[in-house]
Amino acid sequence: MKGAKTIISKELKRVFQDKKLIFSLFILPAIMVIGIYALIGQLTTSMTKNIDEHISNVVIQNTPAGLKDFIKACGYEDTAQISYLDTKDTVEEVKQKVLDETVDLFVVFEKGFLENIAAYKKAGDKIPVVELYYNTTGNYSQAAKNNFEAMILTPLETSLLGERLGNLELLNVFETKQTVIADEDKANGQFLAMMLPYLITFLLFVGAMSLGVDSFTGEKERGTMASMLLAPIKRQEIVIGKLVSLSILSGISAAVYAAAMILSMPMMAKSMSNGVEMNVSLHFTFKQIIMLIIIMMCMVILYVALVGLVAIIAKTSKEANTYVSPIYIVVLLAGMITMFQGGMEKRWYQFAIPVYGNSLAIQNLMTNELTFLQFGLAVGSTLLLAIILMALLTKSFNSEKVMFNA
Amino acid sequence: MIEINGLTKVYRLSKRQMQQMKTKKNIKRAADGISLTAKEGEIYGLLGPNGAGKTTTLRCVATLLKPTEGFIKVCGFDTVKQSKQVRDCIGFLTNEIKLDPQFSSRYMFEFFGKLHGLEVKQIEERRRELFSYFGIEAFQDKKIEELSTGMKQKAAIAVSLVHDPKVIIFDEPTSGLDIVTARNVTDYLKLLKQRGKLVIISTHIMSEAEKLCDRIGIIINGKKAAEGTLTQLLQQTETSDLEDAFFELYKENNLDDEK
Repeated sequence: MKGAKTIISKELKRVFQDKKLIFSLFILPAIMVIGIYALIGQLTTSMTKNIDEHISNVVIQNTPAGLKDFIKACGYEDTAQISYLDTKDTVEEVKQKVLDETVDLFVVFEKGFLENIAAYKKAGDKIPVVELYYNTTGNYSQAAKNNFEAMILTPLETSLLGERLGNLELLNVFETKQTVIADEDKANGQFLAMMLPYLITFLLFVGAMSLGVDSFTGEKERGTMASMLLAPIKRQEIVIGKLVSLSILSGISAAVYAAAMILSMPMMAKSMSNGVEMNVSLHFTFKQIIMLIIIMMCMVILYVALVGLVAIIAKTSKEANTYVSPIYIVVLLAGMITMFQGGMEKRWYQFAIPVYGNSLAIQNLMTNELTFLQFGLAVGSTLLLAIILMALLTKSFNSEKVMFNA
Repeated sequence: MIEINGLTKVYRLSKRQMQQMKTKKNIKRAADGISLTAKEGEIYGLLGPNGAGKTTTLRCVATLLKPTEGFIKVCGFDTVKQSKQVRDCIGFLTNEIKLDPQFSSRYMFEFFGKLHGLEVKQIEERRRELFSYFGIEAFQDKKIEELSTGMKQKAAIAVSLVHDPKVIIFDEPTSGLDIVTARNVTDYLKLLKQRGKLVIISTHIMSEAEKLCDRIGIIINGKKAAEGTLTQLLQQTETSDLEDAFFELYKENNLDDEK
């Protein structure tokens, strides 16, 4: 295995002595990830701010007596420009304006709204209707509707109920008291726990993909592979040397990506944390860390063997990239499916599907639900496939048709 | 010593290759029953036009290709069954096999020295000798991609000789080189011969074969058309120089093929 060691050190030197390669492989991706996340965060914030500052255009028909004063009193006029329509006015024109987004919200109170409310005596009596017309494709329209409900309709309903019942407490059987105790780090951790299996699954592949094609097809194209084939070592040693060095480099590349993503997570979390609610904390035990590392190592070996095999069969780098891209999409999908299957029940055989099973295993590891059977299946199936691929790769190295297009 | 016995190499052609070569046969016999023996202390030249099968023959000797029929022994080892031992005693150089352009000549020399299982001290001694002979020392730490064609070729020759091989196989050793560098290379091949090594080269340059080779094997259409010293070849064909001798043989063999 001395030959393999020599090849590993050469492959690593090839990357680490080249400043441009270090920059494009490890530094640029980190800058890009942080940059993109910061930009998304910035854009989301400025979009929310823009909606908040927008003065909505609201049209109200059949305004009940006293509502105008109510609207003034609650300060809704600060956020909206209100015009009032009479019963006779045509509503179709206003609805068209909602569609055109020149009017954000159109409110129609039933004729005799307050009278009908007052006339309510027993169950089954007519309940008056407030119609709200708004446009779900317009951000402003959505906000105007939410504001109108929160600032006008709900308080109005409360006050009318108060008049009818005399005592509003009749409506409350009990009260719930909610106190949220959470720190920001943990909120980010929750987000991370959902994203991590997906990130690990595809980021490890990104590294293997970008380096693997050059290491196999590139060397074949440049004619440097043949010089290695002339050395008095077994082909297997060349394969092992290449795969080990690629695994190391892919691991570093994935770590850089993951670190950049974790660093930029607070920026993203600010704008997205509302949508994510999962009861997971990121506290690893020693056993969990070891299991995670084993799962990741198996994945890396599988990835580099897969990319290596495809790259060595391809005649040109262009051809190799054409073959690798669909594989990348499958890996992305496998990771992504896991992300959306958070709480779902999984069968044992799902863990035996390479890549997908690993992603599931990482997810269960995060939530502390990973059994030894699942772990064994995920690791075993991946390793088995990797070994088969490595055998095929060694076979390809011995094939003159593959190596010399003969 | 190299012993080639009935070497036949058949390539299967893909449909695209068949179209490119304008043939309806789906196989190509690149080498067709070639037998020859070359011994230590001589320079053996394979002479033939492009596509005659010279490179295929040399690649089979260097274990890169496996013979379809026949066998080859190098230093007593079979190129298929004992390929590792064969690779250990040969130095092989061709234009298509290159050194990694991102590394310096010095690093490549050390890298291949290690792959050949040499000690650091041995590598250092060999490097001093070869680098000074070929004048590589001045640019030994420059990346190979920054070197000129001649410098690259010199570096590649030095690297292929790192393990002081008994048999040296050069596929068109002077192609692409200027006169000075080419002379430098041929002089070194003669030096290797004097040291008792076996040198086998392929070439289509008549003057090179005339001046350099002790024995010449003429390869036409994958077959050995003639073999011998320059004098023997001239006598056999009743000509006065190698070029005329070659064309005599070329006519004869192409006529044979057409029949």
